[in-house]
Amino acid sequence: MDMKRLIISTLLVSIPFFAWSQSALDSLQQLDVVVLKTDMGLNRFSNTQKTEQLSDTILLRSAASLTDVLNYNSTIYFKENGLGMVSSASFRGTTAQQTAVVWNGININSQFNGQTDFNTINIRNFDNVTIRSGGGSVLYGSGAIGGSIHLNNTLKFNQGFNSNLFLRYGSFNTWDGSFKSGISTGKFVVNFEVSRTQSANDFQFIDSDKENQNGQHYNQSLSANMAYRINAKNTLKFYSYVFDGERHFALLNPNETPTKYQDFNTRNLLEWVGLYGEFTSRIKLAYITEDYNYFENIASSSQTGAKANTFIAKHDLAFKVSKNILLNSVVDVTQTNAEGSSIEKESRTITSFNLLLKHNITSRLLYEVSFRKELTENYKTPFLFNAGVHYKPFSFYTLTVNGSRNFRMPTFNDLYWEGSGNEDLKPEDSYQIDMGHAVKFKNISFSATGFYNDIDDMIRWIPAGSNWQPINTDHVKTYGLEVQLEIKQRFQNHQFGLGGNYGYTISENQATKKQLIYVPKHKATGWFNYEFKRLSAFYQLLYVGDVFILSDNNPKYTIDAYTVSNIGAEYALGAAKQYAFGIQIKNLLDENYQSVANRYMPGINYNIYFNLNF
Amino acid sequence: MKFSIKFLTCSLLFVAVLSSCNSDDDNFSNTPMSLGEYENGILVSAEGGSISGSVSFISRDFSTSENTIFSNTNAEELGTYVQSVGFDGTKAYIVVQNNNIHVVNRYTFLKETTITTGLSLPRYMAFANGKGYVTNWGDGNNANDDFLAIVNLETNLVETTIPMAEGPEQMVVYADKLYISHKGGYGSNNIISVMDLGTRAINTITVNDVPDDMFINSNRELVVLCEGKPAWTGNETSASITKIDLSTDTVSNRFTFADGIHPAQMSYSSGNLYYQANNEVYVMSDSDAALPTASIINLGTITTYGMVVKADKLYVTDAKDYVSLSDLLVYDLNTNTKIHTFEVGLIASGIYFN
Repeated sequence: MDMKRLIISTLLVSIPFFAWSQSALDSLQQLDVVVLKTDMGLNRFSNTQKTEQLSDTILLRSAASLTDVLNYNSTIYFKENGLGMVSSASFRGTTAQQTAVVWNGININSQFNGQTDFNTINIRNFDNVTIRSGGGSVLYGSGAIGGSIHLNNTLKFNQGFNSNLFLRYGSFNTWDGSFKSGISTGKFVVNFEVSRTQSANDFQFIDSDKENQNGQHYNQSLSANMAYRINAKNTLKFYSYVFDGERHFALLNPNETPTKYQDFNTRNLLEWVGLYGEFTSRIKLAYITEDYNYFENIASSSQTGAKANTFIAKHDLAFKVSKNILLNSVVDVTQTNAEGSSIEKESRTITSFNLLLKHNITSRLLYEVSFRKELTENYKTPFLFNAGVHYKPFSFYTLTVNGSRNFRMPTFNDLYWEGSGNEDLKPEDSYQIDMGHAVKFKNISFSATGFYNDIDDMIRWIPAGSNWQPINTDHVKTYGLEVQLEIKQRFQNHQFGLGGNYGYTISENQATKKQLIYVPKHKATGWFNYEFKRLSAFYQLLYVGDVFILSDNNPKYTIDAYTVSNIGAEYALGAAKQYAFGIQIKNLLDENYQSVANRYMPGINYNIYFNLNF
Repeated sequence: MKFSIKFLTCSLLFVAVLSSCNSDDDNFSNTPMSLGEYENGILVSAEGGSISGSVSFISRDFSTSENTIFSNTNAEELGTYVQSVGFDGTKAYIVVQNNNIHVVNRYTFLKETTITTGLSLPRYMAFANGKGYVTNWGDGNNANDDFLAIVNLETNLVETTIPMAEGPEQMVVYADKLYISHKGGYGSNNIISVMDLGTRAINTITVNDVPDDMFINSNRELVVLCEGKPAWTGNETSASITKIDLSTDTVSNRFTFADGIHPAQMSYSSGNLYYQANNEVYVMSDSDAALPTASIINLGTITTYGMVVKADKLYVTDAKDYVSLSDLLVYDLNTNTKIHTFEVGLIASGIYFN
């Protein structure tokens, strides 16, 4: 990204609305050459579902955690066990294991608990974060039931030398910093990014004189990405990412024994892209590791934990059958080895075969059809499909309809936990359909998406005598509506923007007819932006409706709805506005709220930041 | 604490309404010397989990019940996990795994103090010779940090700690000796420690794996329920009811269960021992020479989590799915039928009588 464009995109208030993938088939190969992306599912086969790429401005304004950026900018609900602590998502009313987090096209949900802790992802290491709503198991495998979150690094040739320094300091002694630097020529691109965030996290609770104890945390990430164009037909790419974090778990009672948790994750991906006439071949080799340790008493060295190493080999072959038809096959083999305090050394190998078709019938109408079948000895796999239509009868209106079957495989904990693992588990199985309407004019865009998701054989750990065992038990139906609005208006040098998301979600256990715990029926986000010459300012709003915390929906045990407001302003300096200072006030109205029972969040707090591009 | 305050207010209102309807008549006509609102009834402690642990009260005549009596009375939550309640005179000691023991008046539930230091994953509290004795697991995975805390009941401070073998659990006092079952922390153990309350010297008696509930029967034997290691440990062992002769501190009798049977609760009332295995309740008299073959009650498909027998009634807690409030079920042992069900706290385990 050249300097000017980076600055413009950083300072301009431009929240992309419908990022319907624009890549027409004709420009596919061209695009592959200029901008190197690796998440082909997102780029080629997401035309019939809602995808939204969060802008650089949004990422810059957000705190470093993936929880924070998604919480304020989507209808995904987060259950955060106190600020900075374990955080899990509920996307369209699904469980924490039913949202896939995808790094450069590779599913990185934990092999042990099947979910991603959204506070163990630092967004500063990625060039873009994209939310893809609805089923994605054909493309991304296990867990892409509610939707998927994509963390991508983009490599571009011919961009010269670019660097960026970002530093933020805020209340509770919180630091958030990153440095990125890259060189790009016509043949070679390399960039690296290093980020660190840390916090004493010792905020005072609003309604008492007590403070959050033992909540301190830090994490640091290093990523390096490179591409080398061997010749006009062949390009090699390499993506690498290391995450190291430690969190002390905040105490509910000052007398509790303090505990802590460490994560160490690495992700490496080597890709060889070959363009041969109407064929594009991508061979990918990936190696990802995860390692966690839990200290039941921080004063003692006694710990429990587990490690998993996953090796993935993948061949993706795209064939442009004609000007309007793209056929894509993907074959991959994934082998995971895991062991831990409560898991004997276990291994599983999954082979999958995918076939994907996209057909532009006319410039206004296209459809996609795709299939996936996995083979493994460890559990029975369903035959997955995805089919969708994208129809734009008028220049301002788009209709999409998509239906799919998705799954969530049993994890290593589910299958092999010492004494409890159940090797007879089936994957969780989901059928879903969604329909989206999008209207877009020059200054206003609006969309409404309805979804229906029937999820069966959900895995739950239940007591069996003195022990707990996972079984396929729950049958849950989720359905609801997502609405998005954006209005932009300019008066001379004054630019205004206004927008928001609203989600209505029912997630009902079919046996009890009760709403799942920790799934709000209502969630909304809103924003207002104002920009004048070198100054920009924003107001941001989050509303989360009340949630039940007991499975019988006992009305005495709910978490009250809460509304949190943030404001901020930024001023750009330098001839080309290449550096900027910002200030933010978070939880402006000092709302005393909690996302998990008895885990109160901080009241009003402040931060200042500095962003420099050079 | 918006949620708690709101909840508290509702609960207090509820109590106010209840007391205005009930205690007026009762207190004046029947029990003018009332020791407190929670006299004459059943206390049920609940461990808590996704919400705080709590204590519920059910009146002896089963006509009224009230949940979260500790937080209703003291505007404070117990936290997680409420492990057990010990009683000494007019005081109740609520043992919480977050390293606190709340000392309350057992009849009013007004808090007097909290023991906050010298504990590490406390489990149970017993009393003898003016001292309190608290078993502590420390780190449940560590076999070398378990101890017995001796509490000065005047100052409510831990005055001494005595190292213990892995996983000390329940206690029984008899003839200046403290008998401690070693359930074994997150692992397992198979001993009873016998501590001389004067010299504090410790002897051990080896029993079967996972000794937990204990009582002294009318033959002056210490009866121990050894649950055995369950199958999921990969090293399953047999459960037993072991009797220890208190004059010699040696095992005098042992009733071994069939392979695969792991009884989880045991209680004793007027010469009869009751235990629960696979949701069947069995009864056995002190003189029986073998384990019973037929059960007296089938509890059905509940999640049995606590069980106590008192007089002619059997009290059982059903923890359900562990994510909704538990029930206290009351069975009449004359007819072996369920006569009452009360909603109590989350993951209710302890049943006590006031």
